[in-house]
Amino acid sequence: MSKHNWRIGLTAVLIILSCVAFWHTFNLWTMSADEKAEMQENNPGELLRLQQKAIRLGLDLQGGIHVVLRVKMEELDPAAKEDAVERAIQIIRNRVDGLGVAEPVILKQGSDRIIVDLPGYTDADRAEELIGQTALLEFKLLETIDNANLLMTKLDSVIHAYELVRTGADTLQPTEPTETETETAAADSAETTEDDILAELMGDSVSATTDDPFAFDEEFGLDKNEKPLTSRVIDVLRRDRTGTSWPVYVIAKQDRELVNRWLELPEVKKIMPIDVVFNWSTRSEIRNSREVYELYLVKRKVQFLGKFLESISLGQDSYGGFTVDFQLSGDGAARFAQLTGANIDKPLAIVIDNKVESAPFINSKIRRNGQITMGGSATMKDVRNLEIVLKAGALPAPVEIIEKNVVGATLGADSIKKGFYACLLGLLIVMVYIGVYYRLSGLIADIGLVFNIFFLLSILAALGATLTMPGIAGIILTIGISVDANILIFERIREELRTGKTVRASIDAGYDRAFVAIFDSHVTTLITAGALFLLGSGPIKGFAVTLFWGVLISLYTAYIITRQVFNIRKAYKSLSI
Amino acid sequence: MFRIIPETNINFIGVRKIAFVISLALIAVGMFALVTVWTGSANLGIDFSGGMMAYIAFEQPVSIEEMRAVLTTDFPEAQITELKGFEKPNAFIIKTKSPKSEGEGQSHLDTIEGMLSERFAGNPFEVISEHIIGPAVGETLRKDAQKAVLFSLLGIILYIWIRFDFRSGIAATIATFHDVLAVLGIMLLLGYEFDLLLVTALLTLAGYSLTDTVVVFDRIRENLKKWRAKGEFATAVNRSINEVLSRTFNTSITVLFVVVSLFFLGGEVLRTFALALTLGVIVGTYSSIFVASPIVVEWEARRPQRFK
Repeated sequence: MSKHNWRIGLTAVLIILSCVAFWHTFNLWTMSADEKAEMQENNPGELLRLQQKAIRLGLDLQGGIHVVLRVKMEELDPAAKEDAVERAIQIIRNRVDGLGVAEPVILKQGSDRIIVDLPGYTDADRAEELIGQTALLEFKLLETIDNANLLMTKLDSVIHAYELVRTGADTLQPTEPTETETETAAADSAETTEDDILAELMGDSVSATTDDPFAFDEEFGLDKNEKPLTSRVIDVLRRDRTGTSWPVYVIAKQDRELVNRWLELPEVKKIMPIDVVFNWSTRSEIRNSREVYELYLVKRKVQFLGKFLESISLGQDSYGGFTVDFQLSGDGAARFAQLTGANIDKPLAIVIDNKVESAPFINSKIRRNGQITMGGSATMKDVRNLEIVLKAGALPAPVEIIEKNVVGATLGADSIKKGFYACLLGLLIVMVYIGVYYRLSGLIADIGLVFNIFFLLSILAALGATLTMPGIAGIILTIGISVDANILIFERIREELRTGKTVRASIDAGYDRAFVAIFDSHVTTLITAGALFLLGSGPIKGFAVTLFWGVLISLYTAYIITRQVFNIRKAYKSLSI
Repeated sequence: MFRIIPETNINFIGVRKIAFVISLALIAVGMFALVTVWTGSANLGIDFSGGMMAYIAFEQPVSIEEMRAVLTTDFPEAQITELKGFEKPNAFIIKTKSPKSEGEGQSHLDTIEGMLSERFAGNPFEVISEHIIGPAVGETLRKDAQKAVLFSLLGIILYIWIRFDFRSGIAATIATFHDVLAVLGIMLLLGYEFDLLLVTALLTLAGYSLTDTVVVFDRIRENLKKWRAKGEFATAVNRSINEVLSRTFNTSITVLFVVVSLFFLGGEVLRTFALALTLGVIVGTYSSIFVASPIVVEWEARRPQRFK
């Protein structure tokens, strides 16, 4: 009897553990769409926690983004190669964490590949940009406005001269005017002279735009021609506490291409001072209902490197504005203190990949702990982006995206439904067949089968595994394997009964003798599943996980649980089999 | 006691010569298919060839012929599949292969979207999903799959060698290869493409086929202990196959219930997978009776040795 007691005990413990493991999945799956939406509204943290503890659905089931990256190892020196992929994974993980994806999957594949799965996320461009950024994180100071103005004037004349030569006419066009450019130029021109820039425009910089392209040519044509670069500047963005401007030029999106072309001219490059460089902002933004970029004139000298940043967190200042709080490592703290002490009230550009993420003003000398206060207009998204960039730092090597897969959730919903119904119907037919064929014993096997699937789902939940279509196929196959074990046992019991043994003896002999075959066949399947898991990739791996656990559980349910049921009654006169 | 298969005494081993001919034909077809896969001349799915796949759904009905007419000039090899019973009506899968680069896949996608929106100007469509794979990825997958298969086969030979004997391990491996090759051959002959799901199906059926073989071997081993003195080897093997026939039938039929329902209800994505498994169950059942055990019988006839 004691021999059976531990089995009952173990099964009871397993059932309790499974219920615990499956609880969150059960909760989430039984929630209606409305309830989920309500939870997202009122308690998003709780929803995220639920999602993290429930069985995840793979990309093929719920949609999302799948990206395969290759780390360009050949561009690294041998010393850096060793852990380049691991470091890249760490950094990508930091970056992806900022996207708010419930359960991103980031895996190393082969020697130089990284798989990034973002289930439920659909903004492919943003994901790609964030994941693929190879940038170096640097902190740089801005040039003074006086020097910047001198430079702009010089640039204007050089570009003007260039355009004169290029068009070969006195009545030149500043560029090959496409329709949009002409319109923009016209729109911008109304008040974008250098005087305006120097004037105190700051916050209230709404431009009175005109839609009439001829108005510009008549009134401002000369300005436009002689100051091609400056006239593209809509606004000067940055002014510090003393009212001094800083060279952060606001330029319409349509003009970016043109300005870039000018800045790339050999003539322009020749007169550019060696110690400064123009950097664009990382993203465009909407200003006065127009999409604009910022052009920063930053000093070339790198003041500080992102690698000294130790921890980054989001906070709020006493006025309720968002802040990004950071801590510096020992070595960096001293350097940063020196840098900030010497440059109080100046902006410090956070530059990533030669693009300016943000340029907060230095308010005081910063040693170990610093805080970047975002203006009142900053959205949560801006703050998160800054946090992500600071956290992420730079990838150790450039990466290229070699595979991209955007799966729509509609397809997923469709697949889920069909796969689920197919599963359910297959299961029902099998249960009915076994019940009819083996009578009461078949029903006992059916109980084992239900336990098998329940345990399997619980283990998947506990492992935090992701359920994909091949995974569902693996579950279906598990049903087959689990049934096979019981069929082996029952056929054996029947054989034993035919030899004239008593019911009790037949059951015992049936279980004991069938065990060898069950064990051998299960072990060979386990070997296959193990090899597929260790060496396979992608969907093959998902299949292997469900198959592996399914087979293991099947061994337990078929041999221990169903036998336990037979043992409930000790003495049988007959057996329904 | 309810039985579908009565107690039998069919002479399976006696017809092994005919079975060998059938099996050799199946293996030949499979080998041919394998070579075409290896050389890349088979109908490789974009998982392996690289390329792009787009799921699109139109607002108004569009006939597949119209779609084809639009795309054939630029993409004569493009595959267009209409998704019937898909959640969205008027949905299609368009696939093109691009053996050269990832960029080609993207440009195919852009071109196709452009062509469709031009041709069906009054009938907007939604791109439900897009999928771009570089050929390098296919290469990795192929290597991974090869490695996985190789190691699992080695593991299985080793296990069966330890539990039974060496020749059983080899026979089981041949039977498994036989099943995988046969299904691969049939699937490619039927015009299905060699993609990742087919690979998963082949690996699954390798596991299934092996289970079936091992159960028969197990019974042979048990019977040989009793029979050794009384009868010849082949008789014992034949008896064993007959004894487990009822189990073989029931196991196969239950797995068939599941894979067939998957075939009919699992949707477009899983149809190939389910078909390969259905074929696999049939071929696997056949091979556990007509391939694995007869090989051991032939082996024993030539070089008798003790069966553990």
